[in-house]
Formats: sequence, structure tokens, C-alpha cells
Amino acid sequence: MSIAQALITGAMLGGMYAMMAVGLSVSWGMLRVINLAHFGLILLGAYGTYQLATSWSINPILTIVVTVPLLFLLGAALHLLYDRTGLSEFTSLLVSFGVLIIIIQLVHNVWTADFRRIDPAINTYGTKSWFVGSFVFPLPRLITFVLGVVIIAGAWVLLQRTFIGRALRAFAEDRDMAAAYGIDHRRLGMLLAGASGATAAIAGMLWAMSFTLVPDAPFEWIGIVFAVVILGGIGQVLGTLAAGLLVGALYNLAAVLWEATASLLVVFVAIVLALLLRPEGLFVRRAGPGRRRFWSRRPRAGQSDSSAEREVTAQ
Amino acid sequence: MRVRARAYGSAVAALALILAACGGDDDDSAAEPEPGTTEEGEATEEPGGEPSGDPIVIGSTLSLTGAFAPTGVIHQIVGEQFVERLNENGGLLGRPVEWRLLDDESDTAQITPLYERLINQDQVDLVLGPYATPNIIPAVAVAERAGYVLPHHTAIHAPLLSYECQFPGWSMDPQPDEYTSRLLFDLLGGLPEPPTTIALVTNESGSTQPMTQGFEGGGGMAGIAEEYGLEVVAQLPYPPGNQEWSSIASQLRDTDPDVVINNGLGVDPVGIIEAMEQLDYRPGMFFSLFPAPGPLLGLGEAAEGTLSVSLFEPNDALLEQYGDEVRSITEDFSQRAEAAGLPYTAFETQATASWNTWEILTRGVEGAGTLENQDVCDYLVENGVETTFNGQLTFDPEVNNFWDSNVGIKQIQDGEWVMVWPEDRAAAEIVPPEN
Amino acid sequence: MMRRGLIGFPIVALVLAALALFQDSLGVSLFYITVLATLFFWVAQATSWNILSGYSGYFSFGQGAFVGVGVYTTAVLTSKHDWNFYLTLPVAAVLATLVALGIGAVAFRVGAFRGATFALLTLAVPFILASVARLSSRIDGGQGVSVPVPDLPEPLRFQQFLYLVMLVIAIVAVTAAYAIQHSRFGWALAAIRDNEDVAEALGVATFKWKMLAIAVTGAIAGVAGSAWALQFGFVQVEVIFGLTVPLFVIVMSVLGGRTYWVGPVLGAAVIVLVQDRLAGGGFESWRPIIFGGLLAAMVIFAPDGLWARLKARPLLTGVVGGATLLALFIVAVGDVLDRIVLAMLATGVAAFWPQRLLPPQLRRSAPAPLTAPAENVPASATTSPEPAGPEGDAPGNGVTVPRAGQDAPVAIECRGLARHYGGVRALDGLDLQIRQGELVGLIGPNGSGKTTLVNLLSGAVRPTRGNIYVAGRAVTRLAPHAINHAGVARTYQIPRPFESMTLHDNVATAIMFGRKPHGLAEARDRATEYLEFVGLERYSAVRPADINLHQRQLLEMARALATDPKVLFLDESLAGLNPAEIDNAVEVVRRIHSSGVTIVIVEHLLRVVNQLAERVIVLNRGRLLADGDTQTVMRDPAVVDVYLGKSGRTVPANDAGSEHA
Repeated sequence: MSIAQALITGAMLGGMYAMMAVGLSVSWGMLRVINLAHFGLILLGAYGTYQLATSWSINPILTIVVTVPLLFLLGAALHLLYDRTGLSEFTSLLVSFGVLIIIIQLVHNVWTADFRRIDPAINTYGTKSWFVGSFVFPLPRLITFVLGVVIIAGAWVLLQRTFIGRALRAFAEDRDMAAAYGIDHRRLGMLLAGASGATAAIAGMLWAMSFTLVPDAPFEWIGIVFAVVILGGIGQVLGTLAAGLLVGALYNLAAVLWEATASLLVVFVAIVLALLLRPEGLFVRRAGPGRRRFWSRRPRAGQSDSSAEREVTAQ
Repeated sequence: MRVRARAYGSAVAALALILAACGGDDDDSAAEPEPGTTEEGEATEEPGGEPSGDPIVIGSTLSLTGAFAPTGVIHQIVGEQFVERLNENGGLLGRPVEWRLLDDESDTAQITPLYERLINQDQVDLVLGPYATPNIIPAVAVAERAGYVLPHHTAIHAPLLSYECQFPGWSMDPQPDEYTSRLLFDLLGGLPEPPTTIALVTNESGSTQPMTQGFEGGGGMAGIAEEYGLEVVAQLPYPPGNQEWSSIASQLRDTDPDVVINNGLGVDPVGIIEAMEQLDYRPGMFFSLFPAPGPLLGLGEAAEGTLSVSLFEPNDALLEQYGDEVRSITEDFSQRAEAAGLPYTAFETQATASWNTWEILTRGVEGAGTLENQDVCDYLVENGVETTFNGQLTFDPEVNNFWDSNVGIKQIQDGEWVMVWPEDRAAAEIVPPEN
Repeated sequence: MMRRGLIGFPIVALVLAALALFQDSLGVSLFYITVLATLFFWVAQATSWNILSGYSGYFSFGQGAFVGVGVYTTAVLTSKHDWNFYLTLPVAAVLATLVALGIGAVAFRVGAFRGATFALLTLAVPFILASVARLSSRIDGGQGVSVPVPDLPEPLRFQQFLYLVMLVIAIVAVTAAYAIQHSRFGWALAAIRDNEDVAEALGVATFKWKMLAIAVTGAIAGVAGSAWALQFGFVQVEVIFGLTVPLFVIVMSVLGGRTYWVGPVLGAAVIVLVQDRLAGGGFESWRPIIFGGLLAAMVIFAPDGLWARLKARPLLTGVVGGATLLALFIVAVGDVLDRIVLAMLATGVAAFWPQRLLPPQLRRSAPAPLTAPAENVPASATTSPEPAGPEGDAPGNGVTVPRAGQDAPVAIECRGLARHYGGVRALDGLDLQIRQGELVGLIGPNGSGKTTLVNLLSGAVRPTRGNIYVAGRAVTRLAPHAINHAGVARTYQIPRPFESMTLHDNVATAIMFGRKPHGLAEARDRATEYLEFVGLERYSAVRPADINLHQRQLLEMARALATDPKVLFLDESLAGLNPAEIDNAVEVVRRIHSSGVTIVIVEHLLRVVNQLAERVIVLNRGRLLADGDTQTVMRDPAVVDVYLGKSGRTVPANDAGSEHA
């Protein structure tokens, strides 16, 4: 009984991890930026939701009307910084780590280190649930899950079907070629980074709705969210969603069958195993023509790799 | 000190400006005075008239940033309040007191160098301990090497603190698991319908795990429960910083104990109660060991009836008993806490422990009539100290100076923490579970 | 050089030790001893981190894991099992090394774990160890352990004792880093950092060196952690396995400079001393912001770090630093440490001050352009068409060059060789024999599998099916460096030199790790011969970024030749060159061949193939289309059709070449 229930609630929480991971995954896969500052944006989104919901006494979900545009701008602005300074995939990891630390400390300075929670009187979903037979679907989890699935699936459709989406994917495949076809990578990049920022705002709102806020929270997220990114396949939107649900379920399953202390251990061991067996991510079809595999991208190799690769992909 | 600090400020600012052309995220609010770091010397700059001469400098560190910071700030406010009050009332030995407070960033590795700095570099006259056991133990080692008296806040690992001049400002007896278990089980056993089954939900941090499993030599709650004929139907450990409670909640629902005992920290109980609520499950009673008091009250009706341990709660009935001085101390604290932007402003356990700590140090000095640390230490061991909140404390080096605990039990009643046990210090009676 | 340094370290150690031993008579405050002990700890940590992450470029967030193992080992063994403190040091080193090797064994086996993915993987390691420690709470009894102070040698105080222990560890760490940097070990790591695949192809056993590096990193971090336990006094899982340690070592090393052993030492000194001076100054809530900003700014604006900047402006920084220090002592600002830190900051500002804001007389004149104009073919190449090859056994198989022919022994052979990418058959069952002394042209249209074949034969790519033999020995599943050691070398279509090394050192690396391993000194001595052989000796001290494409391609050849191969694959080494350069390159290829090396040249320029090759192999769609003597194959209608078919028969050679430029 508690196993099935734990799987359900875990998978629903996985929607949150997927929501946190999707922006990271897309900016890693398509913009070649490993943006640790994304966790800072999520944190800002969460505190923003807390602050607005508390001071205006409004439904926390409504706060995204404000936080989404703000974090869109912040995400785009950060990308401008990365882009203008010509960072490689790898140096972006370091620079954004610095930015993350700055954001955490600023949050600390503004909201103090004390625990922050949205008042249950405002956050009326907090303890409500749907009951289906003997299974329980806690409302905050359900909202998280549904929003996560809808937004991520929507993002996938956008990337697959629209001109901007195709341009982005072309850009991810080969920057130079895309530029030759008149794709303005700078604007596209900022658009994508902005969209990532927007997902961070939503993930932050979902977090604030379900959990207590502390400024150090990003350090708790980094491990599990990167697990989702890597398992899902870098840049793979639907893969991220699937990996999020899987990791959430696995996390809870380990807690029920073994103990909660083992959850993180089980998840990390699973990642290492998965990477050993399927380095391209669990939910990626084996590399075929025209599909870049992430192991072939090496930060230091420069353009030489891609040209060798091109001969293969051209066939 | 301040001149030097400013010199560094400008030098570092200059360097930062040159290097960090990207650090443009200027946040207005960051420029506001920040509760953690404001004017450490404020108390001394407005001496309250009477004290004269060179200030006596008391040094300590607190976790103003990092994981322990939510509690660190309470101790900071109490310290500032205490020093100000002391200086208004003639200071210490007729001299003004200055508090030199450093931030240990919740990093145990920084404790040793910071206390070495206070003692050997800044040559402070007296020191106070930091907050939380892992930080207190290295501070005690430094104090011992230098022969300083070290009163400290909220350490529970009594057996590990063998230095004879360390004095706890809060005590759960030399054997905290035994003390807490008996306190709680005695209370529960006296209920009209005594519980028969318990579940132990334990944070595996060093401060809470041994409460369940036993400190060195102790049986732990799990063992002592058997003595009381209580059946442990579930043992659920979880890692510090845990956020995902649904699996624990569903296991609790499945085993349905009469009492859920959460030997946890901070907001752990909030997450557990909320997850149980989501499953539409409420155990008979819920006990939490070291919760952050505010967030539990924030849960409203769902947390009603929750039990925890406490040194003191500012309940009206108790304040009547204690008198005006205590009332003014607690009200002053609440105002300061509010000004600092704290969400929960009541003067409770942590603040009381902090107040005790300051009193042990200053009254020890007054009693010994000197700043000689060894004399102060001898005086305290010999005479004990009279505290405002916890009465006369006596220190016995045989049990590492851990005084007879008068920690009691509090309960959330009508959205407020109320002392309910032991009877002589209760502000109200315990409200038993409904069913 | 190496010896001088190795003598220097013990002297520094003795001087620093004297500071603590005669602390009272020297009037050194006990507090300074504490600060310096902390500094030594971080010097050891940053240096340890730098050996793996700075030298080899494998950036790790897992330093906290090794430190944590060290701390925990000493804490548990001394307090729970009454071990002698000194005995726990080697045990901690061994355990931390085992953890490090475990990480390495997983991470270094898989190509997926390079670069950023490795960094993220190491991020998880401390969390995993923390979980393990919690799950087996029997280790520390669950409540944490307090660390007893060992019996101190008589006159020593605790602070002095810790200082001396940390000093010894730091000196050992820095000496190790210095020795590594000035030995083959360091060169191997530098080659891995610059380009791991190329390093492997040039005979560097990358896996072995990386494992060694991570082992050294783990051992030093473990020992230092072991001593750190004394400073902690009390050890709990949650206080040890965090991100503080990695954050600090990364900031320190990035600030000081990652590629040189001094860098982390400098970085640690700056960070520890500034941090100490800031303590209690009211900047607590700004410190992480300063550190975060510093990290970001350094990576963006000065990725080479402080040491490189100091070296670039020795005079300016020296004068500014010295003058500031002098002035501060005269004015008597603060205490000694204050003055030192302020002088350090002033030096740092001078080092990082933007070039364009300097007064003109202090600006360094722009370096003279080192790049020779493209048409300026290296002189030696034209003046001495037939120079003697490098003496001794350098290139080739000895003095007697076997004549190519049907009866010469087989140099390299493949049978049924296939490589599929997904559904695409890049190479589909190829049988081929190359005999010693041949000079073979390998041609085929774009995507016919030429580069795939070179990748397979040099081991860069594993075949889907089939076998490869070098001189009759099966090498199919060997790592590229082992195939190199069997006598196969290659160049890359787009040159991939080690960018951080001079041309001379590029070649020296290849000599050191090639078919017959050589010592560092010998390799450096002999590197010039190979540069002379291809006519690049004038550029010996230049970095690859400063030479033109032709010269880079010649460097590729020199470097491949320096591994002393029997078979050399030249992958479009002439692509993108002008006619004069092509003539020169053809000359160099002939010279290499005549020194006894079997050559397979992949080429688009049919003119070149005609000129050079005695035999031509044509691939099409992953299959062998033709194989035979040049004249016959070139006239084969099938070849003409496939190769030139679509665009008629008059494709200018240069166009074909420029497709890949």
C-alpha cells in the first residue's frame, strides 16, 4: 500500500524536478551553457512568490504573472553576460557557479536565513488532497505534476513545430551553419535563456507552494536535478520529463523499501549505472545520423571535432 | 577595529570594482542595514552613564550565515539586548562591556581559528560559546588551551564536554535521551487514555539521532519506551535537510501509532505534519524535539496539540509568576526581533538559553569580583549562579557541569506555544487527543 | 631546474618551521601561527586539487569527499579505537586514495564523463559518501565524534604542533606538485588537458596518468584532512561532506592560476589572509558575494590567473607591492598581517590593471608578429631538399629502407573491418594490407569512409566488426596509445596541436611518450631535430596559435614522426594550402618516406596523390572500390565515375581541397 502511494507521490514530485531541470537541460543542450545560476533563478522565483503572496495575500499561483516576466528578463540578461564574454561550455559552469553564490547571499541578505513559508491561509492548497479509491493525490503535488507535464510538453511542441523551435534546433546542431542561414543566434539565445528563466519562475512558485524556504536550498537541488538532466539526455525536453518522474518515483521507492537516508544514494548509483550503460541518456534513441551525441562534444577540442563528425553525419 | 575594517572595506571594494565588472546585480535591499552584521560595537558607543573606564571585551562567534543562521540570529539579538541592559545598569565591575561578535558561517572548521583570533589576537577579556553542539566542542577546546571560562548555548552532548570551566546555558541532564524520554513518557502516562504505541521518526543528525538510539551509555527513546510498556511500531530515520516526506507519512499512516515522536530539527515536523494532512491522516499525538517554533504555528489547525520541549515560554500565566523584569525582557526581545525582520518573535527556549549563558558569565565575574578566568571558574563551580529564568543553577564537574535540567514540555494550544509540564511550571494543562 | 627547486622547498620549510619553534623569541603572535596553519592546510588542499583539476583539466567538485574521508578516518580511529594520531595519517591517505581511484575507475573509463560531466559527477560524490556514513552509523555512533588531541612533544603548544604538521603536509604537497610539473607525469597531464584524444594517439597512456593524478590528489587531500580533524575537534557527517571545501579550492586555484604549481599557493595565500582580515569587519554578508564575483570575474577576464599576470609584469607589480609594503610599515598602519595583506591587494591590482589604462611608458610593446607570411616557406625546406634524417633510430626502422613491393612484410592489415553509426555504415567490411615501405594514397569522395578508416586503424574509434593487425600482431581492441606504441601514428585533417605548449614542447611530448619511451631531458634535447626535419626549427619557442595553417600541418607531421612510428597516416595534411606550400609539404612527405616510414596519405588533391603515391586505394560508400598502382587506378572508369562523375572531369584540385578548409 505505502509502496504504491509512495510511487504516486514521488512521481508527482518528479514533475517538480523535471520543471527545475528542463531549463538547465535546454540551455546546456542548445546554448552550450551549463547554467548553475538557474538554481539561483528558481530560488528567486520561490522567494518572489512567497513575498508577493504574503504581502498582497493572493493565491501563490497568481504570482507568476509578476515573477515569470521578471525572471524571463533576468535569464536573458544572464545569457547576454555569458554570450558577450564568449564562455565555453565548461567555463560557463564556473562563472554561473559564482553567480549562484551571489544570488544565494543576496536572498540571504534580503530575507534572512530564517525559514519562510507561505501562510496556509493564503496557500489554501497546502494540505488538501484528491482521493481516488485508497490512493491519495495531494493537491500541491497534483498541481506540480499537471503544470510540469503541460509546460514541458508544450515546450516540446514549440521546439518541434514552430519556426523558432526549428531554428533553435538547427542552431544547437551547428552554430555556424545556422548563422549562414541567417539565424540570429544572439536573439534566439536570449529568447531561449529567457524562457528558461520563466520555467525557473514557475518551478520556484511550485516549490514555495509545497515547501519551506531557506536561502541554501539550491545546494539540496543541484545533485538530484542534474541527475534528471543527465538521465533525460542533455537538451532532450521530453526525456527530462520522463527522467524527472522516474527519479521522483525511485527516490520515494528507496525511502519506503529501505530508508529515507538511502534515497539520494540510490538515485546517484542509478545515474552512474545508467551513464555507464547508456551514456547518451536513458530516453534518447541511440545516436543515428544527424544526431549529435553529447560525448562527442568536448570542451577543449574546439572545432576540429565537429568537422570530423560532419563527415560521418553527412553520409 | 572599525577604522581597520573600513580600510579593508575600501581596499576590497576597490579590488572588487576592478575585477568584478560583471557584479552589476546591485540590489537595493542589500544596502539596507542587515540584521546579521550591524554595528557590533553599538552597545559601547552609548554607554548608559554609570560604567566607566576601559570597556571589558567579551568575544564570541555565532552562525549569522549558513545552516544554523535561523537560530544564530536569535542569540545575536539576545546578546545585543543583554549587553545594552548590562551597560544601562552599571556595566560589569563598573566598566562598560563591549561584545565582539564574529560570524562562523555555520562552518565548524572556522570555530577554532576564530576563537584563537578572539583570544590570542584581539585578546578579549572573556569569551562566550557559539550555538549548536558541533560548534561548541571545538570552541571549548580553544578555551581550555587558553584557560578561559566558556559558558555556551544549547549543547546536549554532555559526555563530550569534559573541560571543567565550560558551563552550559541549557541542560537536558548529563543523559539527555533518558531525561527527555522520562519527561515525555511520564506526561503521556498520566493522560486519561495513555498511549500504547509510538513511532520514532528521526533526523540522522548528530544532535537528534542519539536521542532515539541513545547517547553513549544511554538506551535512547527506543529502549526506554519498552520500560514504559510502549510498543515502537515504526522507526523511520531520514537525512538532515530532507524535504520529501510523503513516503514517511504514508508509512506512518499504515502503522497508525498513538504518538508520532519526531526527533528532528527546524522545519522537519512541518513537512511531516503537512504530508500526513495530505494523506488525511492525524496520529493521536505528535511530539517534535527541536522544531523551529514559528513555522509550526504557521500550520494553523493542523499543528494544534503538537508537543515539544522548552526551557521557558512567555505565557501570561508564567509571566505573572516571574514578574515585571522578565516581562520587560521578553517584550523588549520581541520588539527587536520584529525590527530585525524575524517571522517569529517570541522569547522562548533558544532565547532563554542565551540569556542564561550571559548571566552565567557576567554573574560569575561579578561574584568573583575579577576578570581572572580561573577565579571566575572556581567561583561558578563553588557557588553556582542565580538565573532570571531557570533559578539557581549548580555546576558539578563530575557530570561536566550539566545542571539538573528543568526543561519541560510545551504544547500548541489555540495557535500558541504553552508550557504544560512539569506541573509546577505549567501555564495550562495538556490537551489530550480528541478521538 | 628541477633539482634547484627540490632543494629550495626544504629550506623554505625549515625557515617556516623556525617561525613556530622560536615563536616567542621572534615575537610572533600565537594567532599568526594559527592563521598560517590554516593557510598551510589550504595550500595543501588547493595544490592537491590542482594536480588533477589544474594540470589535467579534469575539474572536480569532489575535493570535499577526499578531505572528508581523511577527517573521518582520523576522528574515528583516534577517538573510538584509541589509535595513535600519527598512524592515522597514512591510513587516511590510503583510504582517500582508494576513494579517488574508485571515482577514477568509473569516470575515466567512460568518454561521457569528460569535461563538465565529470565535474557534475564529482559533485555527487560527497553526497554519496555522506549517505553511506549515515547508513552505517556504527562508524561514528551517529552522534559524531570528538577528536582527542595527541600528546604533544614537550615544549610545543597545540597551535605550534598543528602548524608544524600542516607545514610538513603543505611542503610535501607543493614539492609533489613541483616535481610532477617538471617530470613526464606533468607533461602527460598537460597533454591531456590540451587535447586528450591527441595525447592518447601520440602514445600517452591517458587512463594511467589520470588515475595516478587522482590518486595523488586523493592522498594529499586525505592526509591534510586527517590533520584538519584536530582543528575541527568534533566531527559530524553534515559538517564534513559539503561544498565549502570544493568552493574554496576552486576559487583559490582559479585566482592563483591553474596550470602552474605556484598558482594554488598564491591563491590560497590571498584568500586565507584576506578572509582572516575581513573576519569581524562587518563584511560577513558580503563575503560570498565578493568570492562569487571574484570567481566569475577571474574566469571571464583573467582565466590564466594571478601568477601569469605577475610574470607578465614583474617590474610593475614588484615595485607597487614593495612600495606599498614599505609605505605601510613607515606609516605603521594596522599590524604586520594588515600591511602584508594590503600590499598583496595592491600588487593584485597592479597585476590585473587593464593594459590600456596603464601610463604609456609602462605598457609592454605589443609582441612582434611571430607569424611568418603564408607564402614564406621555411627556408631550410627549400634549400636542403635532401637533409639527413634525424640521426640514430629516430624516424623509421633503421638504416636500410626496405623496398616496397609484394614481398615486403605487411606493416598494417585489416580484415572485414566495419564501423556503423546507428544505421549508417561508414565502413562496411574492408580488407586491406599495407606493406612496409609503401607510400599509399587513400582517396574517395566525401563521406566514403576515409577518415573513419584512419580513426579505426589508429584506435580512435572501435570497429563494429573486423580485426586490425600491426606487423602481424592483433591490435583491434587496444587503446590508441597502445596502437601508437605498436608503431602507428597519425595526423589530423585540421591540426590539433597542444595549444599551451611551444612547438618544441609539442614535439618533445611526442618523443617522450611514443613507441620508445624517453626521459624528459632527452626528449627535450631531441625535439629540435624533428622541427628541423620539417623545417620549423625557427619557430621552436613559438606557440601553435602564432603559426600559419601550413606550419601547423608540418607540426602535426613532426609530432607524429617524433613518436617513432612504422606506419604514418597523414589525414589531408595538405588541405587548404597554396601551391608553394603544397610543393614544400610534398617534399617533407617524401623525406619522411625515404627515412623508412610507411605512409598512408588521405588526400583530395589528385595532383598530390599522383606525385607521391606508388599505390592508390579508393573507397566509396564504406567499401573498397579500387586498389592498385597509381596510374592504373586513376584511369579506372569506375573510379573516374565515382570520384569525378557529377561535376565532370575537370574539378580543379584546389576546389576539392577547400571543401574541408
